[in-house]
Amino acid sequence: MSNVVVVEGLRKSYGSVKAVAGVSFTVGRGQIFALLGPNGAGKSTTLEILEGFRARDGGRVEVLGLDPGDRAVARELRERIGLVLQDIAVEPYLTVREAIARNAGYYRNPRDVDELIELVDLSGLERRKVRALSGGQKRRLDLALGMIGNPDLLFLDEPTTGFDPSARRSAWQVVRNLREAGTTVVLTTHHMEEAQELADRVAVISDGRIVSEGTPENLGGRDTSRVRISFVPPAGSTAADLPVDAIPGKGARVVTETDEPTATLHRLTDWALRRGTVLDQLTVERPSLEDIYLDLTDRDAPEPATRGNAL
Amino acid sequence: MTSTVIQRAARRDLTVLLHQIRYEQLTFWRNPQSAFFTFVLPVVVIAVFGLMFDGTTPSPYFGGLSALQYYVTTLAAMSVLGSCYSQLAIVLSTRRQNGILKRVRATPLPPWMYFVGLLAHCVMVSIIDVLLIVGVGRLYNVPVPSAAAWLPVAVTLVLGSASFCALGFAVASLIRNAEAAPAVVQFILFPLVFMSGTYMPVHNAILENITGLLPVRPFNQALLQAIGPDGGFAWRHLLVLVLWGVLGAAVAVRRFRWDPRPE
Repeated sequence: MSNVVVVEGLRKSYGSVKAVAGVSFTVGRGQIFALLGPNGAGKSTTLEILEGFRARDGGRVEVLGLDPGDRAVARELRERIGLVLQDIAVEPYLTVREAIARNAGYYRNPRDVDELIELVDLSGLERRKVRALSGGQKRRLDLALGMIGNPDLLFLDEPTTGFDPSARRSAWQVVRNLREAGTTVVLTTHHMEEAQELADRVAVISDGRIVSEGTPENLGGRDTSRVRISFVPPAGSTAADLPVDAIPGKGARVVTETDEPTATLHRLTDWALRRGTVLDQLTVERPSLEDIYLDLTDRDAPEPATRGNAL
Repeated sequence: MTSTVIQRAARRDLTVLLHQIRYEQLTFWRNPQSAFFTFVLPVVVIAVFGLMFDGTTPSPYFGGLSALQYYVTTLAAMSVLGSCYSQLAIVLSTRRQNGILKRVRATPLPPWMYFVGLLAHCVMVSIIDVLLIVGVGRLYNVPVPSAAAWLPVAVTLVLGSASFCALGFAVASLIRNAEAAPAVVQFILFPLVFMSGTYMPVHNAILENITGLLPVRPFNQALLQAIGPDGGFAWRHLLVLVLWGVLGAAVAVRRFRWDPRPE
């Protein structure tokens, strides 16, 4: 599979602050690649260099085989990439249809305006002025403007911020459909659920460096990390009565960690059934993508027992 | 072979350019309130001056012109200032702050086409304003410039609008936030216009020497000479005007930013 984005040893400083300090990654054709990281980690700077908005200090960058730092190829690059950014806006007095039709005229091979309006779920609002749109509708218009040029590569900067849950799900479906059609997507997000749902590959950036890269399932050793089993022990029994080593957790809970969840669960449930009781509020967890993310980006990681979503 | 490729690219560029000019116009006319005041303000001002100075005869105080001939000319110059310098500076800094310029930058539209679209708009507004002012002047029997005056008038208007557009770009490049833009624009323009004889002729050697080196008075004087008894081109004034335009363009080229949050 050929690479649509190649970044090698990318560096960028603002004065004495190293915003990006040697970032390398690649994005394959047709992939959805998510860049995660706290504010100020170098995520936006990296994206803006890829998009041709900022000059880099060092390293190699290739986007669709072009160097985004080369002004001579700027127009060609912009013919082939689409951008949905946080801090961009549309003329407030144009209507939805006019705003999209205007941008369509800038591209060699634009998508059909009316089809696109339907695709981003703005049908019926064609004649509404941009200033009268709700936040979520404006964001969907942004998405349409990012896609109007029929791009090979689409950059999405926190694409569903401000969406309600159902609008978010339909936006995800739009992005998945784009991938089906062969579009490569590079996105940033603060919603781990979004990365989990959409991304084929995830990279976590912190202090200007990539601290981990993988699939949402195996990032940071998520797939091989220990499973945490927790429950409220039956009344009258103490941790010492249990057939496994356990430590006290939140409230009345006890927690045990294991590499062999099947065997451990069997021992626990067998123990409980034989005593004619139950393991109340039983949960079996692996660290969520959010747990892994927080571990990777936070220097003083929170207590293990307070984290985790039920699998 | 190569020449047909170039021809096709040129034709495509022309299509995109016309498309951009059209949508720049649409953007303007879609905001009817702003469109209304752009054209009504100069009409109101010249109508009021007409009521004040109707029927006065040519006098040396007004450089050998009647008061209304003088004001039709300086207010026409003023409307070019407004539609080129003020409008560009405010529109560009507002669009930058809102992120509209960055969105344009994210598309393949070449920057020069975006600017030509805006300049075409400023020139269009200038032409309409000048025609409206001359038209209202006609109602007060201010004569339309003689055929001999048309060439110097046209050249002066073209150079003036080019220079003030460049200065509008320059100020937009230097202004940091859009809230301050109208205030900064007026702060620069108002005293300058006042001292440059737009609202009353200035007959003071010190003021004339100072404002003669700034952009507004040379524009006024070049127009006044073109329609006046002597007629012709006011070369020295036009030179000062063009030098300001070049300076404005140089600042704009070096300092113009698309991004609301520059590095």
